[in-house]
Parts: sequence; C-alpha cells; structure tokens
Amino acid sequence: MTKKQKKTRTRIVTALVLFLALELAEHLAPDVLPGLAWPVLYLIPYGIVGWDVLWRAVRNIKNGQVFDENFLMAVATVGAFGCGEYPEAVAVMLFYQVGELFQSVAVDRSRKSISALMDIRPDYANIERNGELVQVDPEEVSVGDVIVVKAGERVPLDGTVLEGTSSLDTAALTGESLPRDVQAGDEVISGCVNLTGVLHVKVNKPFGESTVAKILDLVENSSSKKAKAENFITKFARYYTPAVVFAALALAVLPPLLGMGPWLMWVQRALNFLVVSCPCALVISIPLSFFGGIGGASKQGILVKGGNYLEALAQAGIVVFDKTGTLTRGTFEVTAVHPQQVGEGELLELAALAERFSDHPISRSIQAACQPAPDPARVTDAKEIAGHGVQAVVDGKAVLAGNQKLMDQFRISFEDTCHHVGTIIHVAVDGVYMGHIVISDQVKEGAEEALRDLKAAGVRKTVMLTGDSQAVGQAVAGQLGLDEVHAELLPGDKVDQVEGLLQNKGPKEQLVFVGDGINDAPVLSRADIGVAMGAMGSDAAIEAADIVLMDDDLKKLPVAVRIARKTLRIVRENIVFALAVKFLVLILSAVGVANMWWAVFADVGVSVIAILNSMRMLNAK
Amino acid sequence: MKKTFKMIDLDCANCAAKMEAAIKKIDGVQDAAVSFMTQKLTIQADDARFDAVVQEAVKVCKKVEPDCEIVLK
Repeated sequence: MTKKQKKTRTRIVTALVLFLALELAEHLAPDVLPGLAWPVLYLIPYGIVGWDVLWRAVRNIKNGQVFDENFLMAVATVGAFGCGEYPEAVAVMLFYQVGELFQSVAVDRSRKSISALMDIRPDYANIERNGELVQVDPEEVSVGDVIVVKAGERVPLDGTVLEGTSSLDTAALTGESLPRDVQAGDEVISGCVNLTGVLHVKVNKPFGESTVAKILDLVENSSSKKAKAENFITKFARYYTPAVVFAALALAVLPPLLGMGPWLMWVQRALNFLVVSCPCALVISIPLSFFGGIGGASKQGILVKGGNYLEALAQAGIVVFDKTGTLTRGTFEVTAVHPQQVGEGELLELAALAERFSDHPISRSIQAACQPAPDPARVTDAKEIAGHGVQAVVDGKAVLAGNQKLMDQFRISFEDTCHHVGTIIHVAVDGVYMGHIVISDQVKEGAEEALRDLKAAGVRKTVMLTGDSQAVGQAVAGQLGLDEVHAELLPGDKVDQVEGLLQNKGPKEQLVFVGDGINDAPVLSRADIGVAMGAMGSDAAIEAADIVLMDDDLKKLPVAVRIARKTLRIVRENIVFALAVKFLVLILSAVGVANMWWAVFADVGVSVIAILNSMRMLNAK
Repeated sequence: MKKTFKMIDLDCANCAAKMEAAIKKIDGVQDAAVSFMTQKLTIQADDARFDAVVQEAVKVCKKVEPDCEIVLK
C-alpha cells in the first residue's frame, strides 16, 4: 500500500469505530442525548471518512464537472442526511471509501505485477576504460564498444560474444525456461540474464535500436491501441451517467407532482439512482482485463501490440502459415539413405567425402549427417559442377554425387524408385550406381500438436502457403494435417492468396497470418492479424507484425488464442454482470424495494467483483 | 508527431476516459489516448501546434482531475 492508501485506511478504521460506537449508543440508550444531538454526532465519522469526497465535489463543480462521481456521492449522502437517514449516509460513505481503497490497491497490484514482468530494462553496462571496469548508462555505449557482462547481470545491449562461455536465461523475453548456451562468435540479445560465466560482448546496435528497447517500446504503446470493447465502454459511460442522473431528477420530481406519494420517499429513491450512476465497474475492469491479457501473454513470450489485436485474435477463424521457417525448421537434413551394393554408412561417407569442399547447404547437411567426419586426405581431386553436383576422386576412385542431371550427363543408369519427398542426391563410383540420399527440410517439433490445439481452440481452417514444389507442400501438409495447401507461389502470389481467403471468410471471422517475419511483411500487414515468430533479434519482424512470438515455438500460437478468448470472455462477463446488477438495482430502487445499501453494492461492490474477475487474467496460461 | 507522457496520481478510470475525450477535441490533435492502467498519455498532433496542444492538454486534465500531474520532459 502506498502512503496515500494507508492514510485512507486509517481514516476508514477511525470512522468505522466511531460509527459503530454511535450506533450502539443510539440503540442502547437513545434518550441519553436530546434528539438533535445524534445527527450532529453522526457528522463526525461522516466528515472523517468523506471530507475529501465533499471537497473534490465542490472543486470539480467549479471546473464544470457535474457528473463527477465525487459530486454524485456527495449529493447522495448529503441528501440522505437531509432525509433523516443519518446512519445510512455514514455507512454509504464508508462503504464507498472501502471500495475505492480496494480498487486502488487492486489496480496498483496489477500494475506492479505487470511492470515486474516487463522488468527487462538494463540499468547499466560494464565497459573497460583505462584498464578499469566502469558502469555506464547503456545509452552511452556506442556500436563497436566491448562490454563485459558478469554472471547474474542482464545483457544490456545486443552484440556478438568475443570471449567467454556462459548460459543465458531468456525467460523474460521468450517465456522459455531452458537456458541457452553461448560461446565466442554467438549473438546475444539484450534483456537476457547471464547465468554462469563472464562474457565479453562487442556491441552491434545502439541502445535505442536494441531488442530490449524495441520490446519495451512495443509494450508501453500497446495500451494506446484500444479494443472495440474498451471504446464502447468509454462511449457508454459518457451517456450512462447523465442519463441516470436525469432519470433520478425525474424520479424525485414527477411522481410527487402527480400525487403518487410524499416527496421524501421519492427523493430517497432518486438518491439511490445517483449512487448507481457511476460506470466505474466497467471503466476500470475492461481495460484491466485487456491489460492483464497482454501482460499474461508477454509472460509467455507473446507480445501483443494492442488490445484491438487481442480482441481480433479471439475471433481467429482462419490461420494461414508460411511453410519454410514457420512450420518447418528451414534447415536441411538427411532424412533417408537408400544404398545399393554398399552399406548405409559407406554411402553417406562417400557422399560426404565427395562434397567435402562444397559449401552448398545440401553438402553441409550431408557433412553434418556423417559423424565422425571422415579423413579429408582421402579426397584427392574435387570439382563442383554448378547445378548438378560434384565430381571427386576418393581413395583413388572417381565418385559422382549430385542430382539426376549429373547421372544423365555421365550416362549412369538407375531405377528411380524413391517415394520420399525432398532433394535427392545420387552417388556413383567408377560409373556404377551406389544409391541415393534424401535431404529434406524438417517439420518443426510441436507443429502438429500446435495445429491440433488451434483447432481445439476454435480455429476453423488452417492453410499453408509455400514457394516450394507441390509434392513437398502436399507432403508437409499431409503430415501436419493442414486443411489447404497452395504451393509453387512467388512472394507476390502469397498476398493474392490471402486476399482471396479474406474475401471468403465469415463476417465475424478474423484471418491470421503466421510467418517468420523475413520477406513476408506485405502479407503480415494485409492479414487481419499478422503474427511473426522467432522474432528474437529480428527488428523487421517486430515492426511488421501485430503479434510477435519471441521464439519460434509454434505451440505459443494456440496459447495466444486461448489467452485472447479468455480475455474477451472475462470482458463480456463483466459487461453483462455490471449492467445487469445496475439496471436491476435501478428498477428496484424506482419501485421502492432497494435501499441505499443495494445501491452502494451496485456501485462499489460490482466494481470490486469485476476487478477481481479481471485480475484472473494476470495469471493466464 | 507522437509523444507519450507519464501521468502521476491518475486515480480514477472514469477521469482518464474524460481526459481522453477532452484532449481529442483540442484543435490539431489527430489522436490521443489516456491509459489508466499504464498511467500514460499519448498524443499525436500536428508538429506545428504540438507544444501548444500539450499545454492545452495539461490544462484540460487539471480541470478533470486536479490531483493528477502530467510529467513533461
């Protein structure tokens, strides 16, 4: 609690004790004091607990703020005094202040829990000057400087490790709890915590452009993009309060004029209206839900750029994926070895040796698959035939490794029996076919599960777009269970495909595009919601997308959809609950069933319940 | 130009909404947002009138909630 809150608490407790003492005294010995003394005595706890409300009411009237909640509470309680309901007036003011205090504490707590979440701003950077380590503001470090990050410190700027090995805790950025090992030559990004060793890092970017600055900027700005529900509430509040106040006025004046009862009774009922007229429950709890949803998501490494995107994500109906780098790893690996005449290991070894001096991604994947690496001295002559493969002399024998064109060129005959999808490398020794190796892109771990979860979360259709061949596209789509595949697309075609899908989607459905943020900025911005993944260290992705998954774990996507749906559910619950209670109490007050206690509950009680409901979002999973 | 300001002692959510509505009405303001949760005011306004807009926004906010202070940097 802050100082201000503690002061309010003291006032509430003092007033409550006085109030209860007075109540007791009045009940036990009503005749001890003359009748007029009681209201004067009740004024003491009323003044203690409510003076600031009265003061603010007067001040705000001067500023022309008529429908201010302080003013309404002041009129309602002073009115109750006027009607002779002294204990009620004090109790209502007490209850109101308790509610306000509770709200303020709850909101503070939510703010703190979220700012703790986003507490990734580095305070200082260690830099070597004249042989001594000094702490400087990260903003003062320039590109090319070498900073030292000790164990337990936060990496202040993006850069490359020059020396040292360590493991980094990236949880604050990605939600991933497994530490990541780094060594000399690796890139490190700001915001991670160095767990074990000392790292010397050469800075690549000024602080303003670092990952941490970008993320903080994004999170801080997310509250300025408001969801439709938030704007609706603001607008609603603008009409609701004046409407209820005028209704109160009418209720106080019209029925008695029409001879439907005494003035006092109708004025009392009208005062209830004033108490219910504040829209606080909604005005606080709806933004709090979105705030909590965005905060809860960022705890999982999902950055949402605004409440509007969270709202849209809750209605995700079609999810479109880019293939390479999103559904697949984007790296090539040997997936099958089909030898003829020789053993599997031998075939792989032959290919690896022949490809030894090639730097093609395909060669590299064969080298990687052949462990331990064979002795390169066995290769005596190697020549790359562009677009075909390689020709080399291994152990004195002429080895060919390459595609079908290479085999055709050297008139090597073989039967094409392979049913695997991918790039195929054929191997021949001294003109005799030895077999082939299949290399393909690997489907990401968890991709299948992620797609299943998306469906379970309510997504109607999943679509894959790829520039790859039809065969590869179909194979991946079949393996993962996608509903639709569009292959052999040029980058521009992807936008057209998304346009087509947008035209055919349902009226309340939103289209989500998921890409790795590289080369797909036009599609990301064309979709209703653009999601970029694997964004750690990629500025382009952070800028182009509406929602950013910090690491490249596809399973975060269904998590994001679930959080969005939960947020919207809570928002709807709060709207319905608050409005229902308020209107019910208004009606019951008008007919004289509800007293001021009901009205206070409909105001502060509902606020507190709605806030508690919203706070559930802070722990969203 | 778009700029964000910190707000101190913004205690009432309804006031935040009122401030936002009032600031949006200031001449030259393209967009404005007052976030009760992050206690921040974002103003997007014409470059030429920006300082005047900010001055006016401070005045408007004082009217709605005199206890609340906007930190100008």
